[in-house]
Amino acid sequence: MSTPEEILRGAQNLELEAAEEGTRPRPVRRFAHGSRVPGWDEAVDLEKDPAGIPDPALTPVPSELRAEIEAHMANYPDRRSAALPALAAAQRVHGWCSPEAIEQVACVMRVTPAYLESVASFYDMLETSPVGRHSVYVCTNISCSLCGADELYAALAAAAAAGDGGDEINVRSFECLGACDIAPMASVDGVYVGPLSVADVPQLLADVHAGRPVLPDKQLARRLVADPHANTREFPEHPAEQAARPGGA
Amino acid sequence: MPRPEPRTITFTIDGREVQAPENAMLVDAAKLGDVEIPVFCYEPKLGQPVGACRMCLVEIEGIPKLQTGCSTPVKDGMVVYTQSQRVQTAQQSVVEFLLINHPLDCPVCDKGGECPLQDITFGWGGAISRYIEPKRHFVKPLELSPLIAIDRERCILCYRCVRFSQEVAEDYQLVLLERGAHSYVSTFDGHPYVAPFSGNIIELCPVGALTSRPYRFRARPWDIEGAGSVCTLCPAQCNVTITVRDERALRVLQRDNSEVDDGWLCDKGRFAYQSFHVDERVIEPLVRDGGQLRPVSWERALSAAAAGLKRAGAHTGALAGGGTTNEEGLLLARLLRERLGSPHLDSRRAGSLPLGLLRALNEPQLQAKVSDLEFAHAVLVLDAEPVNDAPILDLRLRKGVRRQHMKLAVASPNASLLDANAALSVRYAPGAGALFATALNGALSDDPNVEQLAREAGAEPEAVRELAALLSGSDSDGDGGPADSADGNAPAREIVIVWGERLTAGPNAAAGAIALLGLADSLGMAGADGAGLLEVPAFANGRGLREAGVLPNAGPGLSEPSAVAGETDGGSPARDARAIAEGLTAGELSALYLLHCDPQRELPDRELWERALAGASTVIAHTSFLTDALREHADVVFPAEAYAEKEGTVVHPDGRLQRLRPAIARPGEVRAEWRVLVELALRLGHDLDVLSATMASQRLFDAVPFYAGLTLEEIGGRGVRWQERAAAAAYPTPATSDEPEGPSAAAVQPPEDAADLDGYHSVWDAPEVEHSPALEFLFPRRNGAGESVLPLSYVGGEPA
Amino acid sequence: MMAAASEGGRAPILLFADIDEPGLNTLEVYERRGGYQSLRKALAMTPEEVLEQLKASGIRGRGGAGFAMGTKVSFLPKGSMDKYLVCNADESEPGTFKDRELMQKTPHTLIEGLIIASYAAGTNRSFIYIRGEYELQADMLDAALHEARAAGYVGENILDSGHSLSLVVHRGAGAYICGEETGLLDSLEGKRGNPRLKPPFPALQGLYQGPTLINNVETLATVPAILAMGGDEYAKLGVETSTGTKLVSVSGHVQRPGNYEIELGIPSREIIYGLAGGPPEGREVKCWFPGGSSSPVLKAEDLDVPYDFNSLAQAGTMLGSGAIIVVDDSTPILDVAMKVAKFYRHESCGKCTPCREGTNWTVKMLERIDAGEATPMDLEVMASVQEHIIGNCLCVLGDAMAMPIGSMIAKFKDEFEAHMEERRLSHA
Repeated sequence: MSTPEEILRGAQNLELEAAEEGTRPRPVRRFAHGSRVPGWDEAVDLEKDPAGIPDPALTPVPSELRAEIEAHMANYPDRRSAALPALAAAQRVHGWCSPEAIEQVACVMRVTPAYLESVASFYDMLETSPVGRHSVYVCTNISCSLCGADELYAALAAAAAAGDGGDEINVRSFECLGACDIAPMASVDGVYVGPLSVADVPQLLADVHAGRPVLPDKQLARRLVADPHANTREFPEHPAEQAARPGGA
Repeated sequence: MPRPEPRTITFTIDGREVQAPENAMLVDAAKLGDVEIPVFCYEPKLGQPVGACRMCLVEIEGIPKLQTGCSTPVKDGMVVYTQSQRVQTAQQSVVEFLLINHPLDCPVCDKGGECPLQDITFGWGGAISRYIEPKRHFVKPLELSPLIAIDRERCILCYRCVRFSQEVAEDYQLVLLERGAHSYVSTFDGHPYVAPFSGNIIELCPVGALTSRPYRFRARPWDIEGAGSVCTLCPAQCNVTITVRDERALRVLQRDNSEVDDGWLCDKGRFAYQSFHVDERVIEPLVRDGGQLRPVSWERALSAAAAGLKRAGAHTGALAGGGTTNEEGLLLARLLRERLGSPHLDSRRAGSLPLGLLRALNEPQLQAKVSDLEFAHAVLVLDAEPVNDAPILDLRLRKGVRRQHMKLAVASPNASLLDANAALSVRYAPGAGALFATALNGALSDDPNVEQLAREAGAEPEAVRELAALLSGSDSDGDGGPADSADGNAPAREIVIVWGERLTAGPNAAAGAIALLGLADSLGMAGADGAGLLEVPAFANGRGLREAGVLPNAGPGLSEPSAVAGETDGGSPARDARAIAEGLTAGELSALYLLHCDPQRELPDRELWERALAGASTVIAHTSFLTDALREHADVVFPAEAYAEKEGTVVHPDGRLQRLRPAIARPGEVRAEWRVLVELALRLGHDLDVLSATMASQRLFDAVPFYAGLTLEEIGGRGVRWQERAAAAAYPTPATSDEPEGPSAAAVQPPEDAADLDGYHSVWDAPEVEHSPALEFLFPRRNGAGESVLPLSYVGGEPA
Repeated sequence: MMAAASEGGRAPILLFADIDEPGLNTLEVYERRGGYQSLRKALAMTPEEVLEQLKASGIRGRGGAGFAMGTKVSFLPKGSMDKYLVCNADESEPGTFKDRELMQKTPHTLIEGLIIASYAAGTNRSFIYIRGEYELQADMLDAALHEARAAGYVGENILDSGHSLSLVVHRGAGAYICGEETGLLDSLEGKRGNPRLKPPFPALQGLYQGPTLINNVETLATVPAILAMGGDEYAKLGVETSTGTKLVSVSGHVQRPGNYEIELGIPSREIIYGLAGGPPEGREVKCWFPGGSSSPVLKAEDLDVPYDFNSLAQAGTMLGSGAIIVVDDSTPILDVAMKVAKFYRHESCGKCTPCREGTNWTVKMLERIDAGEATPMDLEVMASVQEHIIGNCLCVLGDAMAMPIGSMIAKFKDEFEAHMEERRLSHA
């Protein structure tokens, strides 16, 4: 007995073969056209138990992660408000919002993992499938693409994939990152750099791999305001980050 | 809490003046003027409107943008148009948008013919689609759970199912994943959506995206009929519509009765219809012959039973349980009392209560209604776990907390699924329910011994005091109840106590009852309209059977039992269930008549019952399934009717008489059980004078004084609470009005001696669940204590 | 006055004054420059008096909707219930990056403005919802908040005024829709950022069902300046219905993209050409978005429209978030439409039908045009789909795509048709 998928695939192949023989117009591939959505084709596993709130006895949570989530929960009148910061924290620990990561957050927050999965899959910065450790978000929205962001993204994605350790870098085309003044730009592990050209790609990747500050000269943090009337005096180029990060203060 | 009483206003819709309650949503108000505004996502049972589907856009004078009728409260003088060009264009466009990715595979869709999307497209859609891009196609259907299939192509993302999971069942298992056009309904990481009420999403779905796996492709809407009845698989007695095709039940749907079930069903109620039609069902009479139960003719089975009963005479005990109707119970009681001279019959699980207490607990003015659970100021769930005892009450309590800000308190020996919703949860030692109730009563009446009493119950004294404060409204954080009002002559607080039968069972039965009566008194329940006690009996028709007189110490209508006729059991005191078992074991009783009851499985003290059944010389059972004990010990088995085949009445725990109507034909040799009892009596030379089911009901209405004058027509499809009829005045007053036995008289046993430890029996642990193929997976596991319960994880509750 | 503005007689710089001064993000430098004096001034007044100042200033919300801030504050019910002030720092409208510069360089201005607003509105709990991508800015805010707390500006009984305020910086995780105020509230409550039905409006039932005031970063950051100069004085800046100065983000095909603080009411040309340098040499403005990518586009002939709320509304578009995106004649209009439509499809939350399906359908139609599989009739269908979206959605996201796309179809119909024909022939 074949699975439904196999039967359908078989039917599809027949259709395609018929099309190749010229007997029929080529059909739209059933599962292959543009609007395919990951997850839509997946059934549940009936062998699994339903997913309630995880049992603390069966769900070990790294103590630092637990402490961070609990600290976030204390910030709000309703503990659920901590869902985004808690998921972000778990993502930093696990690399992505894996089922294990979500179960850990669910266990600390006392909510169901489905609730968190639903939240995580809504937000672009929370990854629901495994990705590289380093994130490179290339803005390809309108202002950046007017300035060549699509070429930049293509070059970056290709170079990252071709180079060593490509699977460590998660190159994504991203919606407007709010830095159209440095278009085209990218956010590399949270650090905004731009304007970038295709020529910057090798250096950018090299910096990421080496763990160096990425393209220091092109970091947004150093950029002065564009308005010529804003500053009444000459100021040096804006020093990066100014030791403002919590913990670094 | 006072129920809202909206004033009536007049508004204009499509040029017509219509009267409607103020602030009703426009789509509901429009119906009063015979105007239908189409909706997909709107379903008031799910809570606040979400306005997501945009199907109900209407034009309101004075508001520039079209408004959603589902979320606009109607006001006096409002002028609404649902037929203007603007509205029609908007409605057509919404239908066009919805059909973009809908596969329109109606010919092979289970929903076809009863599909809101079809109907609305027909009524409000445009005739053509301008969408020529390829539609999405995916593998389908996919399993969402053992019970439910999901077809994501058909889904129109109306949010109903996920809102049910999140805002009604509150299990938070079914969610939307992803965003925008990619959104889809799913669960976490491929876990199935298994929860006690999951099947409701099938009925909520306005398209064919969620279908019942057992029902898929079994019928088309035009070759089925709906038959209304009442599910008697548990005490909740939800109203149902049974889908019938060729005399078979193919599906069970809700039949919304806000006074009973609020339009929801549990999965047992929804899917256990399968057990009506399985091969394992007993559909012919069986008699033990050479050690084996063998099919025989009715003639032979009836004579064998009659002979056995004749031999035993007054040494016969009888138990009625399950979905036994009032009429069957009355006939059984009459057979025993009038013909056999035996007073040994029971319909309570574990021990009798003195008649005075029984009467006091069931006094009409002390009885709460189901809807009171929603509107009370506070509800205490005492020694009961609704999901396991009467599932649908669980949803009602959640609704009360969520929507009416009812304060919920839970007092139980184990973690409860309602803990997360409770303002306060208090734990006490297993079996110490009566002690706990006594302590709580002490706390309410400032008894100096509270501390001591609480400790004896294994509860924290502080928690007991907190609970007392919550119930009396003297706790600091105000809940808007009368206790907070400044004017002094506040109406009484409405408090409801939902209590499990086990609180008044076992050695501490009387103490439990006295404590309950004390609580009712301290909390002023008798004087408050929406307040009272609501017992969850162990058996589905527990209340009805007691009122019909299936008790050792009470006749019909909780009367003093009349002296038994004929040969008597040497004047030995009437035996309750446990005493029957002891009598059988000791050889003092010789026959046992079981109406829908397997005592070894359903009653406490399995070992005792094993010995009792082995010791009985004749065991006669009405049953649909041969459980282990019956297979081993029954001498005569009468095939029992399923509830869908029955005719008669039952009584809801809140006193509502409800009517069972036969929806399907009885299979095989199955006969009406009232007829079997009448026939058996005849063979024993006694004419019970019942020739039809209607006559059986009439006998019941005549026998119970507070049912006087009832007719089946009056009960009708919605049922009627006898407490609300004039005949309720005939309710027998308790022997002594105050403290029937006196609290000191009832010696409270320490919990370790209380007997109810091994007998926790969940409604999910039933042959109907076991024998419904679709529900097999749900068959509860036994926990360490031998209790049979649904695992907590099935309902998204907090693990203990 | 307008002419004067372009010739050095500019209106005062309120928000960007010496914004690049090193250390301005620290309390020390901020206070040295007179920081938190407005707060002291406000706390010496009654909340009603502060509210009067805000009303007198006439300042309209800088987030997009342009609602009068003072009026919004006065919508909050009086009483002792839990009330909330939420700062919308989810700056996600394409082309907008003004709040980023403020939060990064002078976070204390926002915090000071927020405390004053909370005092006027009588709220004791506040949150800054900042988009998750703004990591540097969120860190800056957190550090500044830490200092402000230590200095007693945030917390219990601020400067012995009896007013208390808790403040939490809440980081989003990447969803444009969380910039919509009710989507933001749901997100802040830890849910998917789906917008809610209105009414009830947040002022009555917002965060955790409590009355909630939601303001944009720039609006709140302007509050200290209003208090310092007085509401009436502030109202003299700009034009009657659009008072004050405004940060404008200019991007796209201009030579000097960036943020500029302008006085409302100056000609748009002044901003695009005068400040941002206009398109690169040899190119012409083809169209421009005056208020982020959700505003209907204007053409080169509209460059002299005064840049203020009402004038832009009269021109059939809106000031929105104050983000000007300039597109020159080197870019096909189809590419612009495609970027815009794809963005809104990606960001549609999926809750309501017209937006979820309409954005998706629009993208598919545009792709079909680009693939040479469309006919002019499709352009009509596309225009009609936009009409069916506008006004029929739960929130404004659907409109945010339909309005600019509709305007592009209306204003560049010929170019669409030519593109269609050219692609059709090349694919034939």
